[in-house]
Amino acid sequence: MTTKTAAKIDNTESWEPRIVAFCCNWCSYAGADLAGTSRIQYPPNARILRVNCTGRISLEFILAALEMGADGVLVSGCHPGDCHYTSGNLKLRARWTIMKKAIEQAGVDPRRVRLQWASASEAQIFADGVRTLVKQVKELGPIMEEWK
Amino acid sequence: MTEAETPRIGVFICHCGHNIAGVVDVVRVAKMAESLPHVVFSTDDMFMCADAGQQLIKDMVEEHSLNRVVVASCSPRMHEPTFRRVVEEAGLNRYLFEQTNLREHVSWCHMREPEAATEKAMDLVRMSVARAAKLENLPVKSVKVTPRTLVVGGGITGLRAALDIANRGFDVVLVDKEPKLGGHVAKWTHMFTGDRSGSEVVGPLVKEVKAHSRIEILTNSSVIEFDGYIGNFEATIENRKDKARSKFDIGTVIVAIGFDAFKPHGYYGYGESPDIVTLAELQEMPPRDRLLKPSDGKPASKIAFIGCVGSREPGKRGHEHCSRHCCPAVAKAASDLKDRLDEVLILYKSIRTYGRGHEELHRLARSKHVIYSRFPDGEDPVIEVVDGKVKMRWTDIYADEELQFEPDILVLASAMVARSDIDETTKLFGLTRSRDGFFNPEHIKLAPLTTHTAGVMIAGAAQAPKNASESVVDASGAAAKAVGIMARGEVEIESTVSRVISELCSSCHTCVTACPYGAIEMDESKDPPIAFVTEAKCHGCGTCAAACPSSAIIMLHSTDDQIMTMVQAYLCAPPDTIGGT
Repeated sequence: MTTKTAAKIDNTESWEPRIVAFCCNWCSYAGADLAGTSRIQYPPNARILRVNCTGRISLEFILAALEMGADGVLVSGCHPGDCHYTSGNLKLRARWTIMKKAIEQAGVDPRRVRLQWASASEAQIFADGVRTLVKQVKELGPIMEEWK
Repeated sequence: MTEAETPRIGVFICHCGHNIAGVVDVVRVAKMAESLPHVVFSTDDMFMCADAGQQLIKDMVEEHSLNRVVVASCSPRMHEPTFRRVVEEAGLNRYLFEQTNLREHVSWCHMREPEAATEKAMDLVRMSVARAAKLENLPVKSVKVTPRTLVVGGGITGLRAALDIANRGFDVVLVDKEPKLGGHVAKWTHMFTGDRSGSEVVGPLVKEVKAHSRIEILTNSSVIEFDGYIGNFEATIENRKDKARSKFDIGTVIVAIGFDAFKPHGYYGYGESPDIVTLAELQEMPPRDRLLKPSDGKPASKIAFIGCVGSREPGKRGHEHCSRHCCPAVAKAASDLKDRLDEVLILYKSIRTYGRGHEELHRLARSKHVIYSRFPDGEDPVIEVVDGKVKMRWTDIYADEELQFEPDILVLASAMVARSDIDETTKLFGLTRSRDGFFNPEHIKLAPLTTHTAGVMIAGAAQAPKNASESVVDASGAAAKAVGIMARGEVEIESTVSRVISELCSSCHTCVTACPYGAIEMDESKDPPIAFVTEAKCHGCGTCAAACPSSAIIMLHSTDDQIMTMVQAYLCAPPDTIGGT
């Protein structure tokens, strides 16, 4: 994956974090749908990418997103035991520990990444997760500062 | 499509009436999309899913020789199948369609931030266009459908569904947790709007089901494992007593597990006296000439009902809904009892007699001098049990006066709520539930009987409070859906499976352990052995692709490239496509 410098030059005053959110189709994407249907309002900073299962998400996706200038990355999937594909989310969870170490070693604060479980009916949990990550990342500032 | 063919992308931004356009500046989004690479056409339209919107896509595909279509509208979980069909009708492969969600994920959750919402919409469209450019043509495959339906629940809904399906010549496995078929209805003495008891209504159905050669009945049993995909499920059913297990190949499923009659502890002295009962409990009292007080077995002469117990309570999860059956059921019970008792009183918040024959029952009750007294919202009647006697106090809205009554029996018309074990069923079949606790249909208006798990239908009071006749309508509808799938004999399945690039495989076996379905094996005839995927077993989760350390596995329609190009389009977009101010 080639690195490109982020096109948006961050002006700290009006700076809003950019969050890449990977959601599994069956639980969290549907949970985010329900958040909308229920008119739950949450910060507009996240862009949701739909994958079939959180098990699809490799460490490279997260590292590359951070490298490309994502201020935070959210991964949201089915609760352990509730995976549509039985155990994909558990595979992701196993990778997650390694991934946190990897980004720490790359000099990035691991609070920029968040793993959460939100089922199709847990709209509020999904929305709260976005809110929490946005708040956390706002405290850390733009990632471009960290990459310098 | 050949590799060399250059993407020609059409972008369609949906207003969804006011739903999206009321927040997102759709015109600006469509304008921005014009500047994106490979986009040859971009527009906005009132309703993309409507006939006119669908026709617009087809016309533009032809006019501009589009070979990729991006629709930015509602959730793809709702209309992706619709638009895939549209592009197919326009002559494109369905996997060359891409949808992004500007409604559930943008306009509905950022209603007060139109500028930020518009920016988000532009990002999402840019991401989808980037992905669309990388989409590939995939073959459309079908699988055979096992001609057998699993019906879960042997109440009036499950019975009707089982019979409908069996009468159409398909096999049914009917499972019920209880030892006897018939569900709630079999226990009830009064069934509105007619004059027959529940067992008289459901009895003939039970008899017919038992006699049917195509229906296998498993009572005292539950489904404990459920696996597979539409047309090709496998269910493991366990007998709750002897723990014996049996496995069935299943093509379609109807979930008709019904409801729980709410036990209103904490309401109106319920539990403090045997003479305070729920409507369901009254219905289950053995029928006799005289109604007897549960406390001392003496004949009752005065009875009172209270409506909306555990229903229509704003802010109380699982109790906000109207239970719908209670108003007519109370009217029916009250007017029947008035023939035998001296005084019958009904306290209510409001009366909802929406269905066929309901208002007539209500009128009948009043004409027999059943007393209806309305109490104010937020001022519930006060019930006290003094020396074993039930004493009621309440304010009548119309008399504006505090009234008192001492009934021999107090009946609480308690709510229909989701079953206490609904969670297990939800997980087993991959279903979802709405705020009221009942199952969510695939679409509330357009697909009320199907669910997001293809091949699994829901029917009856498992979906929302419904009376017996409404549940039976559901049952026949769901049965028709199941029969429709099975009568075709085959069903199309997703072609989104994973594939091993054998030249890159390093023979490490990581994918073999990663796959939840045992769909990947090593081809030992090769040296070194090389992984290969059995496509019929692959469910498309992509876990193998993420786990492979050699990037030797491609997850079709969800390739690394297709995913990362979206991330890149979001974060590293050329300035002129960012939008904003």
